[in-house]
Amino acid sequence: MLEWLWLVPALPFAGFLVLVAAGARLRRAGAAAVGIGSIAGATAIAFAVAASFAGLPPGARVYSQTLWTWMRVGDFEPAIALRLDALSLVMMLVVAAVSLLIHIYSSAYMEGDDGYARFFAYMNLFVGSMLALVLADNLLFLYFGWEGVGLCSYLLIGFWYRDPVNANAGRKAFIVTRVGDTALAIGLFILATRLGTLEIQPLMERAAAQWPVGSALPVAAAALLLGGAVGKSAQLPLQTWLPDAMAGPTPVSALIHAATMVTAGVYLIARTHVLFALAPPVQLAVAVVGAATLLLAGCSALTQWDIKRVLAYSTISQIGYMFLALGVGAWSAAIFHFMTHAFFKALLFLAAGVVILAMHEEHDMFKMGGLRRDLPIAFWTFLAGAASLSAVPVVTAGFYSKDLILFDAWSSPAGGPWLWLAGIVGALLTSVYSFRMVFLTFFGSGRHAPARTAGWRMGVPLVVLAILALVAGFIELPPTLGDRPVFTDALRAVLPPVEAVPARAADLARLQLVAGIVSLAGIGVAWLLYLRHRATLAALIQRPAPSRLHRFWFAGWGFDWLYDRLFVRPVVGFAEAGRRDGIDRIYDVLAWASQAAWRALSATETGGVRWYAASIALGAAIVTTIVIFL
Amino acid sequence: MNATTLVLLGPLIAVGAAVVVLMIAVSIRRSHHVTAGIALAGLLVAFLLLFRTTSVGPRGVGPLLLVDEYAIGFTGLILAATAAVALLAVGYLDRLEDQRDEYYMLLLLAALGSIVLVSAAHFASFFLGLELLSVSLYGLIAYPRTRAEAVEAGLKYLILAAASAAFLLFGMALVYARLGTMEFARMSMTAADRDLIALGGVGLIVVGFGFKLALVPFHLWTPDVYQGAPAPTTAFVSTVSKGAMLALLLRYLPGDVVRAHRALLVVFTLLAIASMAGGNLLALQQRNVKRLLAYSSIAHLGYLIVAFLAGGDMAAAAVAFYLAAYFVTMLGAFGVVAVLSTPAREAGDIDDYRGLAARRPWLAMVLTAALLSLAGIPLTAGFVGKFYVTVAAGSAALWALLIVMMVTSGIGLFYYLRVVVAMYMEPAAGGIGGVPAGRAPLAGGLALAALTVLLVWLGIYPGPLVAFIRAAVAGVA
Repeated sequence: MLEWLWLVPALPFAGFLVLVAAGARLRRAGAAAVGIGSIAGATAIAFAVAASFAGLPPGARVYSQTLWTWMRVGDFEPAIALRLDALSLVMMLVVAAVSLLIHIYSSAYMEGDDGYARFFAYMNLFVGSMLALVLADNLLFLYFGWEGVGLCSYLLIGFWYRDPVNANAGRKAFIVTRVGDTALAIGLFILATRLGTLEIQPLMERAAAQWPVGSALPVAAAALLLGGAVGKSAQLPLQTWLPDAMAGPTPVSALIHAATMVTAGVYLIARTHVLFALAPPVQLAVAVVGAATLLLAGCSALTQWDIKRVLAYSTISQIGYMFLALGVGAWSAAIFHFMTHAFFKALLFLAAGVVILAMHEEHDMFKMGGLRRDLPIAFWTFLAGAASLSAVPVVTAGFYSKDLILFDAWSSPAGGPWLWLAGIVGALLTSVYSFRMVFLTFFGSGRHAPARTAGWRMGVPLVVLAILALVAGFIELPPTLGDRPVFTDALRAVLPPVEAVPARAADLARLQLVAGIVSLAGIGVAWLLYLRHRATLAALIQRPAPSRLHRFWFAGWGFDWLYDRLFVRPVVGFAEAGRRDGIDRIYDVLAWASQAAWRALSATETGGVRWYAASIALGAAIVTTIVIFL
Repeated sequence: MNATTLVLLGPLIAVGAAVVVLMIAVSIRRSHHVTAGIALAGLLVAFLLLFRTTSVGPRGVGPLLLVDEYAIGFTGLILAATAAVALLAVGYLDRLEDQRDEYYMLLLLAALGSIVLVSAAHFASFFLGLELLSVSLYGLIAYPRTRAEAVEAGLKYLILAAASAAFLLFGMALVYARLGTMEFARMSMTAADRDLIALGGVGLIVVGFGFKLALVPFHLWTPDVYQGAPAPTTAFVSTVSKGAMLALLLRYLPGDVVRAHRALLVVFTLLAIASMAGGNLLALQQRNVKRLLAYSSIAHLGYLIVAFLAGGDMAAAAVAFYLAAYFVTMLGAFGVVAVLSTPAREAGDIDDYRGLAARRPWLAMVLTAALLSLAGIPLTAGFVGKFYVTVAAGSAALWALLIVMMVTSGIGLFYYLRVVVAMYMEPAAGGIGGVPAGRAPLAGGLALAALTVLLVWLGIYPGPLVAFIRAAVAGVA
């Protein structure tokens, strides 16, 4: 079955082509069948491939498949090649499975939309690009997938392009991530020119062999790669695009801006972890970026009234945890959290989508309430997701992954109490804002009759994701709770485990206890503030100082304001000022000269045969003159 | 004539026999689709015989023809392109009132002449092939004989081709007079180097090539003929006729020889620059798509000359790949024109293409792909071709030519995209001139679909063709 691997990205691409070519003629059911069918096929093959992969002998669990070489010029041989190892296997399975569920959900969610076929075309293109990204054997092909998902993200954020707000949000996402992409491209240039290849495995071997730890080149290359990663994964300082990206349809937010694409930066760093290990300052920067981002985004999430924006900030914050893990060398912990996060965050978005549909496109949580009776499926699944996000001890997947990160942040040689403290404070914020959503939306007094409840096409994905959000953590049981680290063992061949500082490793049980208490305490705080004493809180944020803080956090710590002053206005001003400078004249002259040349040359096309023959004779005279006299 | 020779000449005999069968069939009963079927069958048989020819290996047929991998490769290209033209012609000729069948005879004869050209090793076969090609083309160009433009185009081509043939023939005579041989293999440029008369002869032969390839300043006929001729013929003139001549040029005057000889290098450099600049500039504000493609083909031949001048195996491979890509692309572009045209009215004006995407989305897509390929946008055959040309020219350090190529390609982008914009973004011209909605005829639709797939395929996966070309050109240039 392994040789079928190429079909995994190829099927979604094929679905995309069919939808583009025939989309206008397909009926809704047809478009959905093509869109879902191609993803379902890819998912089925992905699992079949995974089964074959598991059958390989443990020492040789790598499969690469060279599809073709694009062109061959000297040493430059960009191959279209796929590589399946434990890391790409996890990514592939999660991406394919979550995409399938979201596609099924979307077929109902987008029911009334005019752009039904267009929606599935973009979604399929996205899934194909994302699978190409995670399966790529070389960084050039990876970059192709990277840009592909970026394009789809842009197209889908601005899916309802008739409203300029949505189109602008798409544009913002594209431009901000472009900053990161440019850094990534420069990083790839450095790697390609210095090490002579972009194939990931030889590249990493050469880097480790040729570059000493901490020397300038790996630091520069890793820093540039980090630039790309923070752009795509919405980390500081390029996090500003993600909250606005919520302008897209909710399934898009679930798939692209929560479960898959935004974690591409995490994947990139994990994939090139050898390079980051060669650049300790950059790795520290990864950890610091992660810690800072998770705190900032957590605070902002506390203040949003739009349920999707809470989830957006929450995503930024959770990816911050992944970066924190990467920064302390806990590569597999980051990927583990990626997986559990994909499940519970997709679930939260989809459940929120049901709520939003039921509330007639209302996003304001303060206008909701009491929905637990009207929307039981959405309520119970949302509750499971929120519990997992809050890392409720023992029974949720989020607990196991976040706990692993917190423990590694504490015990890794690269970590320490400060990073751990950031993580634990973030955990408190997480469970407060998670249950703030739950209490505001589903509890309290109900005022609305739902317009639409979840049918089976929306209900089944919710239930499946809810189960996954609860049980997916059991494949990595920590020493205190059964000690069966299946997940990290499977990834060990690709991602080296953390060498914990022995003195700190003994603290595991105590750390878990603290984390558990913090998680439950957060829920308690949320209950007090948003259910029990809502009026008190409302009065509190009327006061000047808290109110200012509230507004500051609400606006995402003023980054948009800052960037507007720092970059947007100067650039726009400069462009305005340069509008009538002399430089354009040069191009005007060029255009004018071309036109003039065209006019002059066109005059030679008289249509007269005599003149044509004369021109041949003239040419002959010139040619013979040159040949004879030169 | 022994058995080996028979095998070597197999494709030629098959095409010739197909013409005879056609004449007999037509004399019995006229049926357009049967005729087209016979012509296509003849081309297919000739194509299949090529595989047999390969096994016999490179061998001369007398002093006249040399059948080697190189000739076989180009013969295959010519046969395939002719088949595509024939398929496109079916739908076009269906709308002609009478006398449809002779078109295929002329087409096969023209293909026959082209095959002789790519296998020629001697002035006699060179000239025979050329005339066979040219004479058939007069008929093909003026085929809708009730339409004045077509007849005018045919007449222009007749007069000018005859004039250029005179230069060519005189050049051949001079070379023969001084060097005493008409076989390419025994003509040495070093001998000609010391002989002004022989050199002049080579110069006049270059003029003959320049006319057929439509290089500036021998290009003036191109737009008129392209515009007046029926669209399938235009497709043939822009691809097969030029491709065969270029293949012959590569064999008669390999790039290395040209580079070693300063005067010839100067001549070809000037021709290339003039063609690239002239072709692209002339197309700039052109409102007729057929004329626009004519200018575009002038520019593309300029690019090809750049690769040709690089010399060596790599350049020959670049030329061959570029030609294949150019064939596919131009056939696709003129194929769309052919599907939209009728013998009574050629779809030339850009107004015919406004809003095409809304009325005929598939045709618009094919034409867009072809135009992007002509412009050299990645993931199309044209990009890979241009890339190889650039690499070949770069490794031969032809910087001046490369710069001209880059700048003029940039200009080219403008007029290609203008057509794309017209198709997608501008509303259809009201009432008059607009091409009605409808379906492409089956044969032409199939040809266009195959060409488009090939166009993208070569852009993404050029490996096999490149490997084949490398093997075929090894040792020729």
